[in-house]
Parts: sequence; C-alpha cells; structure tokens
Amino acid sequence: MRELRLGCKIVSTLLKNSLQYPGRLLLDIVAMLSWCGVCLLLYRYVFTLNGGTIKGTTFDVVAWSMFLYFAFSTLRLRSLTKTITQDVISGNVEMLFNKPVSYLVYRFWWQIGEGMLSFLVIAPISVLVMVALLGVPTTMANWFFLATLPIAMLGSALLSLMFYGIFGVIAFWMTDPAPIQWIADKFVMVLAGSYLPVAFFPKIMYVLARFSPFGGTLILSQMPYTTWKTDAWMLLSVQYLWILILGTVLVVMFRIAKQRVSINGG
Amino acid sequence: MRNELSFALYSIKKNFQNSAELRTSFLMNIVGMALNNVAFIVIWACFVKAVGIVNGWTVADIYGLMGFSALSFGVFHTLLGGIHLIPDAVAKGSFDRFMLSPKNLIVRIATSAMSVSAIGDFVFGVICLWLYLAMIHGGLLQLVFVISGAIIATVVMSTFWLFISSLSFLFSDPKVVVDGIESFFMAPTLFHGGAFQGWLRVFFTFIIPSLLVGALPVEAVKSVSLWQLGLLLLLALFWFLISIWAFYKGVRRYESANLTTFGS
Repeated sequence: MRELRLGCKIVSTLLKNSLQYPGRLLLDIVAMLSWCGVCLLLYRYVFTLNGGTIKGTTFDVVAWSMFLYFAFSTLRLRSLTKTITQDVISGNVEMLFNKPVSYLVYRFWWQIGEGMLSFLVIAPISVLVMVALLGVPTTMANWFFLATLPIAMLGSALLSLMFYGIFGVIAFWMTDPAPIQWIADKFVMVLAGSYLPVAFFPKIMYVLARFSPFGGTLILSQMPYTTWKTDAWMLLSVQYLWILILGTVLVVMFRIAKQRVSINGG
Repeated sequence: MRNELSFALYSIKKNFQNSAELRTSFLMNIVGMALNNVAFIVIWACFVKAVGIVNGWTVADIYGLMGFSALSFGVFHTLLGGIHLIPDAVAKGSFDRFMLSPKNLIVRIATSAMSVSAIGDFVFGVICLWLYLAMIHGGLLQLVFVISGAIIATVVMSTFWLFISSLSFLFSDPKVVVDGIESFFMAPTLFHGGAFQGWLRVFFTFIIPSLLVGALPVEAVKSVSLWQLGLLLLLALFWFLISIWAFYKGVRRYESANLTTFGS
C-alpha cells in the first residue's frame, strides 16, 4: 500500500512537471505523425494497389494494429533501460540505493510518470482521429475486445518494465551496454509489428511474435485481428508467464548487481 | 582552404583516437549498430514477400535503400557529428567557444564530435551497397552511379542537418523544433521507397529531402539515368548552398552567453 502511494505521488509529480514542458509533448506528437502517420499512408497506398486486401487482411485492421503499437509506445517504457544505465554510469544509483524505497520500483514508477502526459494526450486524440478516418473494424467493435484491452495493456506495461529493466541492469556488468540494448530493442520493434504488421510475418516470425517476450511486450498489436477472439486467453497466459519469468530473472540479477556496487562516498 | 582541410582531418583523427581509447566499447558499438540495422532489411524484405513488387521495388532495392541511407548517416555522424550538437550549444550558450576559434566556423563545429556507433552504420551501408550491386548484377556503370548516389546522399544528409540545426538560432527551445523536423526527415529514409507516390513523393523530395537520401538514388541506379542523377545533384547543390546561407544568417542572431569553456 505504501509503495502504491509512493508510485501515485511520483506519477502525479512527474505529470505536473511534464505540463511545464509542453515542447516534449509536441515532440511526441510530431514523432507519432512522422513514424506512424507516414507508415500508415504508405500502407494505404499499397493496399489500394492490391485491391484492398493483402493476405486476407484489410487496411483498417492493419492500420489499427500498427497504431496500437505506436500509441502504447508513447508511454516510453523502453527508455527504462537508458535511465538505469545512466544511473549506473553517473553513480546516481548509489544515492538512490540509500533511499528507503526499492530502486527498481522507484524507477518503474518514474518511467511510467515520464511518459504519462504524452500517452494521456496522444492516445485518446489519435484514437478519435483513427475512428474518424478509418472507422472501427468489426474485430474491435465488441465487448470481448474491450474487456481484454485493459488486461493486455497492463500485461504489456509490466512485461515491458521487466524486459527493459533487465537490459538496464546489465549496465552493472558492462561499461557500455548500449549495443546489446539496441539489438534487443530491434527484436521488439520487428516482432511486435511496428512497421510490418503481424499478418505479414513469415511462419517462424509469426510463432516468435506470439510466444516470445519480444512480441509479448506489445501484444496489443495482435488484438485487431480475427484470431484474437480464439487465441486471446492463450496469448495472455503466455504474456503473464513471461512477466513471471522475466520478473524473477530481473530480481535475481538486481540482487547480484547490488553486491557488485562499491560505494565511493563523497 | 588547405589549412581548413588539414585542421578538419586533424580534428577527425583526434576524435577517432579519443573514441578508440575504450577498445572493447568502441568495437561493440560498431558491430552492435551494424547488426541493429539488419532489422530494417528483415522488415522490408518480409514486406516485399507479403505484398509483392511495389512500383518495381524488389528485395535488392531494399538493400540499396538501406545502403544509401546507412552510409550517408554513418559518414555524416562520423566525420561531421558536431553539427548534431548545434541546438544544444546554442541553447546552453556554449556556442561561444566555436565562434572564438580562428578556424572556419562550420568546419570547427562539424568536426568537434563524432558518434562511434555511426561507424557501424557506415560499415553496414557499404556491405548493403556491395550486396545490392551483386544482386542487380551491376557493372562498372552501376558502380559509378552507386558511388555518385552515395556522395549525393551524404551531401544532402549533412547539409539538411546543418539547415535544421541553423533553425536553433530562431527559437528559445531549439531542441524540440530540430528533433521534430529530424524525425520527419529520418523516418522516410528508412521506409520502402516504392510506396512513396503522388504528393507524398513531392513533399519528401522537395520540401523535406528524405527521398534524396535513399529511395531516389536507388531509382537512379536502377534506371541508369543520367538525367535523374543530374537532378539529384542539382537538389544536393541547392541544399548545400541554402544550408550554408541559413547557418551564417542564423549565427548573426546568436546572443552570447559569455560561456566560453575549454576543450572540444
């Protein structure tokens, strides 16, 4: 309970802080337009060229799938790796270890708070724009989709925190873990269906997208497809299983990492 | 001119020596970035497999696209990476130290920093272009076109970056503006070039020159068209002149913060 109160306090403080820097929000809006917007325009053109359907999927389904990826990304949970790495490199981690709260929990809440304003502003507005421009596919216009959406979102957020947390903690062992972090991040980018919709994946990639933690961190992109209704519980179970596994790995790694830290004082 | 060039070479050499000091990290950054870029090849190769050939663009062209984009990005950030620091230097007032230097201002700031990971982009770009030439069974003529295309792409990449960095002198929070335009510029350099048609192609050629960096050089090589290459050269020259004009125009608006500092 105390940790939850602390979390709410961190998130609300960072929200107030973000309001003072509207430039960052503007930047996130531009990024959403340039990466997601241009990508969707290209796909619209390609679908028109192919008569409206590719591999049995229509443009609106593909567009919503990719949009959900980009909308969730505005939370910027992937920056957790960079934040932890910077803490370790700068030595800031020593100071945070002395606080009466768990370092990891503190950083989780901090990361959520950092991207919260962009998410709260961009996601609802862009959902309205998408509805106005494309409508809602039948696969999303039902109670089952709405009921599973919060579960999948919570799972994606938790798995992202565990996944990116692990790659952040690597900084305790390596001088410059950035190259490993880039590669892991690209695995997520490819397998979560950012620029290439899940429906276009070859068989091996499709299996990896469904059962690996890379695809699981952004399971939302699989929700607009017709297969969601039949596979939802299985995919969600896999996602929550990965949360357990990666959560355990993160805790163990962090315990070992803590023993490696030498406090310089000063 | 010779003095400026030898200063630039000396500065770049020092940047390399500085970065290579941490040998393992240096090598890991290069290899890591090269591997990291493979993701875009995977994405667009799967795209071509699923969708088929769009406006004549095959998997080979994707290699060409990634080759030109990565190589130009790599050369720019390795040799002229300091341009990237202009918005920050202007916002913090540390631009003074460059202005006080007796060297050419653009050369001084451009060669003041480098990105190690960009060497990985460069290596990746060279490999992709070599594979591209092999896949299209290119001869000497195509090789000349590829080299010309790579030079044009690098000039456009560097000068457009200098141009948007010059906007820093106009705004109180330059990082947001520059990063925003940078985002719009970079995204299409990595997207399937065949899908850019109509107004989108015009916009990303003449307003924001993203297609000059990747897609249009690929199409020039494919068609072995001197006319196309000439047009690209003209546009590159335009961005070269306009960026230098914009930079010096912007510098006049710079208000010193009396923060001279030392070092690079």
